[in-house]
Amino acid sequence: MIYVIDHKDSFTHNVVHQLSLFDKVECDDFSKINNSKLNMASTIVFSPGPGSPKDYPLSSKIYKNFKGKKKIIGICLGFQQILFSEGASIIEQNKIYHGFQSEVLVNKSSKLFYEGQKFKVGRYHSLKLKEPFKAENFDITMRCVISGVAMSFENNIDKIYGVQFHPESFLTVNGKLLIKKILSA
Amino acid sequence: MKPFILYKNKKGFDLYTDFSKKIILNNKNISKFLNKKFKFKKKFKNTDLLIGFFGYEILNNLIGVKLPKQKSINFSKGIFYKPETKISLKENLFYQSSIINKVNKKFKININQNLYTKIFNKFKKKIRSGETYQIKICTKYKNKSKIDPLDFFCRLSKTNLAPEAFMIKDKDFSIISCSPENLITKNGLSISTKPIAGTLRKTKKINKIKALNFFKNNIKETKEHNMIVDMERNDLSRICKPGSVKLKKEKTVEEYKDLYHYVSLITGKLKKNIKNMDIIKAMMPGGSVIGCPKISTLNLLNHQEKENRNIYTGSFGFIKFNGDMRFNIIIRSILNYKNISEISVASGVVIDSNAKHEFNENFIKAKALIDLYK
Repeated sequence: MIYVIDHKDSFTHNVVHQLSLFDKVECDDFSKINNSKLNMASTIVFSPGPGSPKDYPLSSKIYKNFKGKKKIIGICLGFQQILFSEGASIIEQNKIYHGFQSEVLVNKSSKLFYEGQKFKVGRYHSLKLKEPFKAENFDITMRCVISGVAMSFENNIDKIYGVQFHPESFLTVNGKLLIKKILSA
Repeated sequence: MKPFILYKNKKGFDLYTDFSKKIILNNKNISKFLNKKFKFKKKFKNTDLLIGFFGYEILNNLIGVKLPKQKSINFSKGIFYKPETKISLKENLFYQSSIINKVNKKFKININQNLYTKIFNKFKKKIRSGETYQIKICTKYKNKSKIDPLDFFCRLSKTNLAPEAFMIKDKDFSIISCSPENLITKNGLSISTKPIAGTLRKTKKINKIKALNFFKNNIKETKEHNMIVDMERNDLSRICKPGSVKLKKEKTVEEYKDLYHYVSLITGKLKKNIKNMDIIKAMMPGGSVIGCPKISTLNLLNHQEKENRNIYTGSFGFIKFNGDMRFNIIIRSILNYKNISEISVASGVVIDSNAKHEFNENFIKAKALIDLYK
């Protein structure tokens, strides 16, 4: 079962809808976490959401508790939430992409995708990862072709994955495939 | 004149009247109202329905968003009627008013351009920090007038015939609207929503193809629209079977008398055991007139707006006794209550919008209605 932690976003149920194609999905508001569902889940997903990771200390706590014990996936804010919990700074960016389709490029650190592969993806983020960023076993694996902003990471040792873009958006081409690869990693 | 309702259908208008019941909604009775199972005889009558509106405030409360203290005219939070008569009318409504409208041509606006710019810049900062991605600022135009609503509605329908137009005439208030936007169409387990984001004024030089090119090449309009599409897909996904939510028409142009709209159509198949309450809570208030994401944007809006939105960005429509429903989003509307006319309009702030342009856009939207007072 996949447990989606909803940060009160208007895209979370697109994520739930997409994940439901592969497994049973449960979804609760981040402030109303059900511990038995959380313990039962094989995968935890941190949803997109407004604001910044520092607004959601409960989600950081869950991440730290389950790191290495369950597969963890972060989308948009969820991506930032994981990196923030790993000590990263999440900062405002000059150019903001809301409802924008960009191209992202896979680099050689990726184990899930081929180096040089490009994807068209939908973006809804005000904030970004401040670089350089270093954390053990974490690699940035995709970047925006134009701005170079970090668009995905993989931690294949602890099975932790994150995407800054929205695989569930209609703006993402083959989003289903992207999520499937991460789920089966 | 007894109370009645007019609602646009595909060919003309439906007139509903002879109301045998009037339900005034409040936070206490709304759950009962929405969870009610209706009895109807085997032969389903075309008046086996409740028709009326949900105001903005009650829809907020329904999804757990509380409004701070705002200036209010104490207008009803929602009213539904049970009609006993339904008559189909042609599209060309002809009506000679015997009542003389006592109209005031001048309108007072509640937010001037300076204040608008201040709010606008404040919200832009909120977009930068990620608290909202798109937010709609509502401005109100008010005046003191005594009008014949049917006369106004007939004139409005001549100049702005809109697919979701409606009017309500009751004893102590009336509502006139040329809403173009359908929020819910539900037949059996099929449900659809048709968000509009993007409006272009019609001129002699612009045909439908040029309008489509305008929207496609306008990055700001496209991004705004994309956001709404994903948000509406999300809202339908709450209540629909996994994999059934489809973007049926992606970013098409619809032509109206004076303008072009940028429109998408999203459909889905409802999960079993979904109640009316679940549908209303998932879909309302309609996202395209709020901004995105819904909850944090509503909270930002409500703390900024000093006056109650009343009917504006609520929903009008009907629920049939068999569970089918149709609801619009109440925009381009006039509320007449206690001889005061109130017109509300809103336009969106996204990261690359411009305060002066959006302020003027608001005025253009209000103008078609303000012109009725001339």
